[in-house]
Amino acid sequence: MFHKILIANRAEIALRIIRAARELGIETVAVHSTADANSLHVKFADESLCIGPPPSKESYLNIPAILSAAEVSGADAIHPGYGFLSENAEFAEMVQHAGLGWIGPRPEMIRMMGNKVRAKEAMREAGLPQLPGSDGVVRDERELVRLAEKVGFPVILKAASGGGGRGMKIVREKDQLGQMYRTASAEALAAFGNGDMYVERYVERPRHVEIQIVADEHGNVVHFGERECSVQRRHQKMLEESPSPALNEKLRERMGRVAVEAMKKIRYNNLGTIEFLLDERGEFFFMEMNTRIQVEHPVTESVTGIDLLKEQIRLAAGEELGRTQKSIALRGHAIELRINAEDPVTFAPSPGLITAYHAPGGLGVRVDSIAHEQYRVLPFYDSMVAKMIVTADSRPAAIMRARRALQEYVVEGIKTNIPFHKRLLLFEPFVQGRYDTRTVERLLAEAPPPAGA
Amino acid sequence: MDVEKLRAILAALQGTDVTRLDWTNGQERITLRMGHPPAPVTALHAVPAGAPGSSAALPTPPQVTPVVAAASPAARDNTFTVNSPFVGTFYRAASPDNPSFVEVGQVVKKGQVLCIVEAMKLMNEIEAEQPGRLLEALIQNGSPVEYGEPLFRFEPV
Repeated sequence: MFHKILIANRAEIALRIIRAARELGIETVAVHSTADANSLHVKFADESLCIGPPPSKESYLNIPAILSAAEVSGADAIHPGYGFLSENAEFAEMVQHAGLGWIGPRPEMIRMMGNKVRAKEAMREAGLPQLPGSDGVVRDERELVRLAEKVGFPVILKAASGGGGRGMKIVREKDQLGQMYRTASAEALAAFGNGDMYVERYVERPRHVEIQIVADEHGNVVHFGERECSVQRRHQKMLEESPSPALNEKLRERMGRVAVEAMKKIRYNNLGTIEFLLDERGEFFFMEMNTRIQVEHPVTESVTGIDLLKEQIRLAAGEELGRTQKSIALRGHAIELRINAEDPVTFAPSPGLITAYHAPGGLGVRVDSIAHEQYRVLPFYDSMVAKMIVTADSRPAAIMRARRALQEYVVEGIKTNIPFHKRLLLFEPFVQGRYDTRTVERLLAEAPPPAGA
Repeated sequence: MDVEKLRAILAALQGTDVTRLDWTNGQERITLRMGHPPAPVTALHAVPAGAPGSSAALPTPPQVTPVVAAASPAARDNTFTVNSPFVGTFYRAASPDNPSFVEVGQVVKKGQVLCIVEAMKLMNEIEAEQPGRLLEALIQNGSPVEYGEPLFRFEPV
């Protein structure tokens, strides 16, 4: 086992890692920028080292400074948390070459999953279903018609050089295909200088459901069930829950099984998350894989009763998994709300000094945060101030508990998205569990928030 | 307060001995401080030690960006500190057998080597960015130092 872990991160996840390490009897070293000198993750670590000025690229992304800090502090492992250097394969390699333990998957895994095209190829070979479509650029109209019929309508035409929603056309019927293709291709040529298009199945109401993978260094792999992350705005997750209201026992078993089999095939190690797109018919498709601990890991901890950070550290040190799939059972229901320093209507960031702070409590309420009264939310970093996780016997009980807890949550001095969450928890599609990745858009379009909310 | 009014006040104070003006008018409050700016901040830069003849296998040292060493808040008037440009290990001499680069009381020239901060197995020489007399060495030889940590206190000469 490791003796001293250096945490190459900040804020709540750094504190989360400190808590896990302390329970394992491992010392911790916090590194921080000058702006974070008084941060709780610095105060609660056994040791701390300032590694640079406020901008991330000179501190939390400063690889030489972090490795140097590991050396002078005598740390024998590095935990990267999420974000920052957590999915930087070169950094992982440098950590290992320095003779330190890397708390995450092997660098080759990080590199493979970091390249979307390679990740999809590898996962197709490993047996994960993919969204049906053309494997590459569509050559001509005749091929397009053939492919579209195979894929099944509606289909989406995407410009090979497009992105961010631009250069896309949804085609619902076969007889529109030719016309739409010519228009889209001409538009793409004008906009991106490249008229190449590809085609894939269009999912009207996609849900984002991800499977938590836990693997050791000896070829043992299990999954810890799923997290439903469809409450998103512009691809930013806002709320996550486990289990997913869209899965039944059979579908969960099937998704989990193919995920675990794929991970065994590529000899994945440590923690990881496979993101799937789930359609209305219960078909699921591989989207991407995250090779790190995730922000929303606490909902999985709540329903499995297992500390994922301790598990991650233990496995990185080479210990055996010592769990069978049968021993993993999901109990109850957990919901995580991300509390961000942002305007609840415009979603503009709202950094600044927190003048009053009271976190909710009571049975089944957990708050992971480094916020406190007089804490300053810094403009240099992420706007997430806290994660509130509620756990109850059932989904309706968890929603009631989340509403109750939000009533107790006081954050003054900055704006937060708490009013947004209060609306969401009353929004019928969410309450019914019938929502998808576009539900937040519909909620925001539907009714203006009541004055003073 | 509008800009024109402020300009007028500033113009009126030019050439006088006034060093500070506090102005309150209802909700409006202005504090003006005239004269010289606070003691200039000291910059220093680190130069990787050439160490001729020794450890030829060392890789090319990284480019080191100069760091502005702000005067420490605890600084007595008129003194300035030289701060570590990165996290590493602090050495006062080139090797255990060598004398310290600088001793208390000594006057250093701009560009003179003050110490070494070792980071990533590279010995980085830290030079004086301005002349001064060494008042205090703040860090013990061989200790880890953080980014921005004051290493020496000087007084200008």
